[in-house]
Parts: sequence; C-alpha cells; structure tokens
Amino acid sequence: MRKFFTVLATLATLSLTNCGYNAIQTNDEQVKANWSEVVNQYQRRADLVPNLVNSVKGFAQQEKDVLIGVTNARSKVGSIQATPEVLNDPAAFQRFQQAQGELTGALSRLLVVTENYPTLKSDALFRDLTSQLEGTENRITVARNRYIKSVQDYNVGIRTFPNNLTAMVFGYKPKPNFTVDNEKEISSAPKVDFGTK
Amino acid sequence: MRVMSAARAFVLAFLLCWAQVAFADVAVPPLTGRVVDTTGTLSSSDIGTQSQRLQDLQRRKGSQIAVLIVPTTAPETIEQFSIRAAETWKIGRKKIDDGALLVVAKNDHKLRIEVGYGLEGALTDVTARRIIDETIVPRFKSNDFSGGIAAGITRMIGVIDGEPLPVPAPEVSHESNDALLMFLNPLNPFTLFFLFAVGAISRSLLGRLIGSVLTGGLMGWFAWYSLGSIGVAAIAGAIVSALTFFADSLIAANQSFQRDYQRSHRGRGGWSSSSSSSWGGGGGWSSGSSSSSDSDSSFSGGGGSFGGGGASGSW
Repeated sequence: MRKFFTVLATLATLSLTNCGYNAIQTNDEQVKANWSEVVNQYQRRADLVPNLVNSVKGFAQQEKDVLIGVTNARSKVGSIQATPEVLNDPAAFQRFQQAQGELTGALSRLLVVTENYPTLKSDALFRDLTSQLEGTENRITVARNRYIKSVQDYNVGIRTFPNNLTAMVFGYKPKPNFTVDNEKEISSAPKVDFGTK
Repeated sequence: MRVMSAARAFVLAFLLCWAQVAFADVAVPPLTGRVVDTTGTLSSSDIGTQSQRLQDLQRRKGSQIAVLIVPTTAPETIEQFSIRAAETWKIGRKKIDDGALLVVAKNDHKLRIEVGYGLEGALTDVTARRIIDETIVPRFKSNDFSGGIAAGITRMIGVIDGEPLPVPAPEVSHESNDALLMFLNPLNPFTLFFLFAVGAISRSLLGRLIGSVLTGGLMGWFAWYSLGSIGVAAIAGAIVSALTFFADSLIAANQSFQRDYQRSHRGRGGWSSSSSSSWGGGGGWSSGSSSSSDSDSSFSGGGGSFGGGGASGSW
C-alpha cells in the first residue's frame, strides 16, 4: 500500500513537471515582477508631477486649464490601486491603463504649452524636471516592453498543449497585455498636440 | 494560365517574407572593444586612447563604460536601439549593474547616454543630460567628434569616480580563492585525476552504474560552481559519468595504445605525461575569463542590466 502511494506521488510529481506546472509558476512570477517594475516607474512619474506643476505655475499662471488637467489626471492615477491582482481582472487593467494614458496626454499638453514661455524653458529647475520626466517616460517604455514580452511567454505557455490542461485544472487564465489600440493612442497623443498648437 | 498566375502570386508572397527581413532593425554590432565605431569617424589612436582610459576606470572602480558609434538607428529611435544594445552587450558587473553606454547615431545627429541600474543614482538623468548638452553637443556641432567623445567620457568618469561602488572583484578577491577556482576548473588535469580516482573508488564500491552517475554528478556540481552555467555543467557531468562508466576499457585501450606508441617512438615521452602538460598549458577557462579585465582585446560585458535610465540629445 505504501509503495503504491509512493509510486503515485512520484507519478504525480513527474506529470506535473512534464505538463508545465513549474514553467507556469516561473512565467507567472516573471510577469508579476515585470508588472511591479511598470507600476514602479509609473509611480516615479506621478511623484514628479507636483514639482513639475509647481515650477510651471511660477512662470505660466494663465495656463490654468492645462495645469488643472495634469493635476486631475495625477489624482486619478493615484486613486487606482495597481496591485498584482489587477492582472487577473481585465477591466481593472483597462482602467489603470486608461488613467495612465490620460496622465501621459495631460503631461505632453503641458510640455507643449511651456514651449511658449522662453524664460520657463531656460529655467534650470524646469529643465532638470523635464529631463527627469523624459528619463522616466523612457523607463516606462522599457518596463512596458519587458512586461509585454513576459506576458507573451506566459500566455503562450498556458495555451499550448499539454500545459493548457494544467492551466485549466489550476485556473490560470491568460493575462491582459497593453493593447495595440491603446498603444497607438498613447504614442500618437503628443504629435497630435504639436500639430494643433 | 491560371496556374502561372497562382505561381506568380506564390513567389510574390514568398518574396514579401524576405522583404520583411530587409526592413528589420539595425543589428547591434558585436562587442569588439570598449569603443566600437562602425562609421570610421574615430582614428585608431583615438580609439586606443579612450579604450585605455575606460580600461583604467574598470581596474580602479570596476565600472564598465562602452562607446558605440553607428551611422543610423532607423527605423528605431535612438532610445529603442540603445536599450537593445545595452541588453545585448550587458556591460557593467552582474548584480551591481554599473555599466554605462554612450551611443552616437552620426547621420541622425542624435546621441544617448544609457545608464545601468547601479549607476542611476550617480549618473542621473539630469547629469546625463547636462553631460550631453554642455559637453558633448557643442563639440559635435563643430564636427569635433573625437573631442566630444573624449570630453564626455571625462565627465562620466568623473561622476563615477565620486560614487562609492563596490571594489572591483577580479584584482582583490581573486587571489585568495584562486587555488580553489583552479581546482574546481574542470579542465585542470589535477581535478581530472582526482575525479578519475573518485570514479574508480565509487565504481568499485557502488557498482558501475551508480558509481559513474555519482561521479558525473560530482563533476557537474564542480562545473556548475566554477562556471555558473547549468547547461555546461550538465554536459560536463554527462561526459564524466560516461567516461567513468567505460573507464576500465578506456584505460585498457590507453595502455595498449601507450605500449604501441612507446614501441614505435622509443626515447620520447609517453602519452600520459605529454597529454597532461598540454591540457594544463592550453589556456583553460579561468585564465580566459580573468584576463578579460587586463587585455582589451577580450573585453566583454560583465552581465549588468539596464532599465532605460539616462538621457538623449541631438546636435
């Protein structure tokens, strides 16, 4: 009897390993880590916003609408909880993505407006803040790309045979990715603004 | 007729597959040295001087800086290209991530300083932008490329010198565990003899199969410990266990070969002595990797990672 259980346990272990249970775990953790990096860099950007708004305020008080737009988008971003659970809820993911996209748009409008204020543009503090913002936006892009790649690995992993059976049994669902539509909207927003100005 | 047009369409579709390849991104050039210039802008003496300075920096602080000059990064932006280059080259020490990469796209009139995670505190986005705007761009504008790169490197080195980084490992701690590393080197003849001895003992005690597997596992652990690569370790372990498994027949073959050899080459050294000396002197793994910090011809990235920090500029 005992021997039977030993054989059964060995078989179960082997078949779980073979059916990609461990690979699913590895990929899942990778996705979570990359998602944390995305959130981390978005947080860094959100932390920059108050300083940026203050430095612009000193020179361009009359651009109230734009400044209020940035502040509102910032507070909206702050109100969304970006825990790893977001990854299992496509609707929450969509909300997060939309809020961040709005902040991206508002910030680029702010930067466009500042083009009209030469004294602001030559202000050392403002220049430092914009280079920090640029660096952070680039980090966000890198973090998003890495997240996209890890989600791809994860999703391919749980949709191919025989791992899909394991994933079905343990309830692992495909994770949401940054969609093409939204990608386009975010990346083209600054250009549209430059055109209308 | 129908068939012809179908065939033509097929050929066209097939060619389109190749067109996709033709529009692919610019490939990252191989890391041939600390300064890689695919445009021929810098003279070889410039490259030598700057490489020497960067090499000194690595010896002093452990941090790696590399310079890459390409004609263009199109269709990618310089940010996309430079993070790809940084991910490919992996400059900077592993886990310390103290690498920095200066990328210049000459015909695009764009440049970027890509900063590894470990240097983001010292070489911040602001500092990187100041180095670009205040030091490099004015010189590039007057077509002084070597001067701009030299001055930019000077400022980057200055920033890194002010940063308390962990001391460079190769020179300081390498000496103390050199003996251990050398012993664990799977190509070390002494280790091989040791393994064969272990293999013989375990084989006679535990039987042929278990003994050889055990020895192979030991070898795999050695290789994994000293080389850090599971793949290589597995291969080394498999080879050793196979060797142990067939050891007696091998030894018998070797002995008969040696007898034949000595019979035909009387007066010269036997097989075993010459083979051990050639293995020892043949430049094993450890010498190759430890000299990477000394001679620039074998410069390689230390495994540092990047997260998109740094700044871009244009002239």
